[in-house]
Amino acid sequence: MSDSSREAYNAARVKALESLLIEKGIITSETVDKVIDFFEKDMGPFNGAKIVAKAWVDPEFKQRLLEDTPAAIAQMNLPRGMAGAEGEHMKAVENTPDVHNLIVCTLCSCYPWPVLGLPPYWFKDPTFRARAIREPRKVLQEFGLDIPESTEVRVWDTSAQIRWFVIPERPAGTEGWTEEQLAAIVTPEAMQGAAKVQISQSS
Amino acid sequence: MKLQHYLGGLEGLGRINFEKRVFVQPWEKRIFGIHVAMMALSQHLEAAKVTPTQFKSIWTWANLRKLAEGMNPFDYFKYRYYEKWLGGISSFFIESGYISTAELETKTEVFLEKSDTPLPHNTEPAIDNQVIEYLRVGDSPKCKVEDLKPKFSVGDAVTIKNPLPTEHCKLPGYLRNKQGVIETVYEGAYNYPLQTGDGVGDPMPIYSIKFDSHEIWGNLTEPKTWIYADIYEAYIEDPS
Repeated sequence: MSDSSREAYNAARVKALESLLIEKGIITSETVDKVIDFFEKDMGPFNGAKIVAKAWVDPEFKQRLLEDTPAAIAQMNLPRGMAGAEGEHMKAVENTPDVHNLIVCTLCSCYPWPVLGLPPYWFKDPTFRARAIREPRKVLQEFGLDIPESTEVRVWDTSAQIRWFVIPERPAGTEGWTEEQLAAIVTPEAMQGAAKVQISQSS
Repeated sequence: MKLQHYLGGLEGLGRINFEKRVFVQPWEKRIFGIHVAMMALSQHLEAAKVTPTQFKSIWTWANLRKLAEGMNPFDYFKYRYYEKWLGGISSFFIESGYISTAELETKTEVFLEKSDTPLPHNTEPAIDNQVIEYLRVGDSPKCKVEDLKPKFSVGDAVTIKNPLPTEHCKLPGYLRNKQGVIETVYEGAYNYPLQTGDGVGDPMPIYSIKFDSHEIWGNLTEPKTWIYADIYEAYIEDPS
């Protein structure tokens, strides 16, 4: 089967399945749209970006976030659901010039939905899951990130019940920025340790 | 063993596709939404039991993972992430008797011929409310177990067991028989929706364990690299 006919078949099959589930009274005509809408408005990396920005400007908040991640997040005025599906037990780690953290789930695709939304393709890629745990520096290099030899690399394999994310390093040149400006430059990749936050992305 | 459990450390795989999108095909959103609805309507949830849905099964991450890990490994790596979901979820509905293979194939033909055929109309706000409520509230696996004391403490040097893996397993293969040090003892105990057959299922403590990457991979790893893994107590050798 060619790639395009494979995708056309998948698309038709999932529509057929959704259609049958509606007919049988399992879900409604709106259920799937409502789920997608929730991930566009309530659960997503925009939440994580706000949390990171606050941690950058408020050292006490950052300390609390590292010590008791859910309690710190609960202080923020984020939409309901920060302790919702896949966010029941979250933990943050911090990148510094001395320590670089990278998150991987070698068994599946564990990911903190409320703060980061859904995992991007690279995070679920079996090649990433296989390689990140043994040669993280090489993997990060392929992602465009050079980790100095003097920096310790910590790889977190998260396949039990805790969902992890990274507080990336605040880039130089952002002194005096507002939390809103800072949040705009934080990417999901940076919050998994696969990228650094770049100023150029916002300007 | 299943290759799926031993993915960590596999060599010769080449470069990683650094695709940053979550969905690369529009249909992937739909199967994701169906899965979330099934999670939210799973009959182990008290709220779902009184929701007016015809879904009468239990559906958790464990069920989806078991299906994916139970696949022939050559198939597992042939299909993309959401293709596995689509295959697994479709077979679940067929095997549980909700739909028939013939129904699914006939309908697939309809949408193949005319992709903009409208979906049937069915409104039931209580179902949608439960799905959104599930996303907001979640389904914490944490249990209050009064007399359950963690067997290990921070700083303990421990060895990981090597239980026979079954079709579903929560122990990454590369950690078997390896030595690490307890970094964190997570508070409380954690349930797992299925008995995996190798020890996980009942409420038990979980630990973050720190491993020297060289202890696991020898010279095939990189300098100054540490691995931290969350491990269920059932997978750690008893202290002696």
